[in-house]
Amino acid sequence: MARPGRQRSLRHLAALLAFAAALPFAVRPVVAVEIWIFAIAAMGLNLIFGYTGMLSFGQATFFGLGAYAGGLLLVHFQVPLFAALAGGALAGALAAAAIGYLCIQRAGTYFIMLTFGFNQMFYFIAYKWTALTGGDDGLPNVPRPPATLGAASIPLNTTVRYYIFVTVVFFVLFAAMQRIVESPLGMILQAIRERPERAAAVGYNTKLYRWIAFVIAGAYAGLAGVLYGMMFGIVPLDAISFITSGDMVFMVLIGGVGNLYGPILGATGLKWLSEVVSVLWKRWPMILGAALVIVVLFLRGGLVEAWVRARGAVAARRAARGAGAEAA
Amino acid sequence: MNLPLFVGAILNGLATGGIYALMGVGLSVILGLLNLPNFAHGALYAVGAYLCYAAAAGPFGFWAGIVAATLGVAALGGLIELLGVRRLYGSHPDYVLLLTFGLSLMLTEVIILVWGPIGITFQPPPILAGGVDLGVTVYPKYRLAILAATLLLVLATWLFLERTRYGAIIRAGIEDRDMASALGINIRRVFTVAFAAGAGLAGLGGALMVPVRGLLPAMGSDILPFAFVVVVLGGLGSLPGAILAGMLVGVVQSVMTVIWAPGADASVFALMSLGIAVLPQGLLGKR
Repeated sequence: MARPGRQRSLRHLAALLAFAAALPFAVRPVVAVEIWIFAIAAMGLNLIFGYTGMLSFGQATFFGLGAYAGGLLLVHFQVPLFAALAGGALAGALAAAAIGYLCIQRAGTYFIMLTFGFNQMFYFIAYKWTALTGGDDGLPNVPRPPATLGAASIPLNTTVRYYIFVTVVFFVLFAAMQRIVESPLGMILQAIRERPERAAAVGYNTKLYRWIAFVIAGAYAGLAGVLYGMMFGIVPLDAISFITSGDMVFMVLIGGVGNLYGPILGATGLKWLSEVVSVLWKRWPMILGAALVIVVLFLRGGLVEAWVRARGAVAARRAARGAGAEAA
Repeated sequence: MNLPLFVGAILNGLATGGIYALMGVGLSVILGLLNLPNFAHGALYAVGAYLCYAAAAGPFGFWAGIVAATLGVAALGGLIELLGVRRLYGSHPDYVLLLTFGLSLMLTEVIILVWGPIGITFQPPPILAGGVDLGVTVYPKYRLAILAATLLLVLATWLFLERTRYGAIIRAGIEDRDMASALGINIRRVFTVAFAAGAGLAGLGGALMVPVRGLLPAMGSDILPFAFVVVVLGGLGSLPGAILAGMLVGVVQSVMTVIWAPGADASVFALMSLGIAVLPQGLLGKR
């Protein structure tokens, strides 16, 4: 049983690598970088939304805090690259630990409202604390230090180099997420999603596991935030805005909830859409809003379901044609 | 701190608190009945404000604006329920939430398209312009009027829900949707009416705030988290809880503005965090 599974995951890995190699040619390299960054954050959200069944509407809190933490470390202390990434992930995890502790006290609707509420709170703080964050103007002059491993030091001064670096980071985090999802922890999380009462009855401390998932997602978002700040050398206020939270939810949703590859598909779809549409029209939130309404009303399973449906329709037509030919 | 400033802050807090309470009651009814957080509630508040602004330019002035905002937004809420939310009953509540979030983004964009992205200031009607000497402090007449109006509205909403037959039906729906339906109540129609009424209250709240805070396309997403705090703090489905929490949030925010302005908004969320930690059911919640 293990062998075909392994073969399949090798096939998936090969497909993913091919996708990563083709992406910077399909879209502008900067957009390709952004896609992987958001895929990282959305992957974290997928763990809590897709696998644990808790819709967080506040992932930009951790994305933004990570971006500010990493950015401030880079601007004021000139820390090395990996220290900034670790700092951002830590900031995201710590904030998620505190906020998550409060939010998971209530499940369902309340959880969503609380994550959204805390997101807005940190947005207001970032907006008003201009001395630290630059407020509406953003935190500028974030450097992009070289990637140093032992004696080797690779400068990331071009977009293509940065793309390769971000892609490698993504693959490492993807492998880690795959491990988490397939581990006993991942099984417990899915059990909590399916039947919280039963998981609790069996003896699992559901609040503890929900909290762990929330903290992991916070770390992913925080790390993605640091990468985002280094992308243009600025941490914009948008990084912590609820629109960014909505973007992430939408990525997970259109990618297909609870599918490991969903966030990649969702991030690619959304960023590609925004790239194509923003040439025609500057008002991105309108497009996002309309897309959300359409997906929710007509395409609830996301792109994966759309694909399956399209394939089903093609197969049905082919079958009908075959039947027609036979009758004739 | 000097007394006049403090009294002014508390009155300000009660006036905005009244608006928060209106928003909270509407949200709470929708949340209790449909078990969904209406993310479009803030945008409906903003649409109410802009409708009021548009209608106030007409022959009947600000008063027509208030009526237009209430009825217009109530109609919009009813439409959203009929054409969108209704189609999603029975599917996971997360989808309804995403629908209302998408609608809120679209409504905000429509406001920007029609009225532009820049804030607009608006003067209160002449009758309510100027201030009143309260002894300790001179206070703007219009804010006193808001305070009185919201107190009356909150009271009227409470009387409607507690003392009328239709209010009893709505409360029955909140308590047990299936049982109410089994007793022959057309629960679908109740949903539509409740959604429209909650939206109307939000639109009215937006209209009342126009002379105080002016107009800004983002005003909806600015107030929405506070409305959420009110509902969480008040307790699910508890209307008196929402009213009490609304007033409390308004006063805390306003008094903190005087003490330490940068922390005013954050203090509201600190209050909510404390509330969840100490009273997870909310101030007056039962569930």
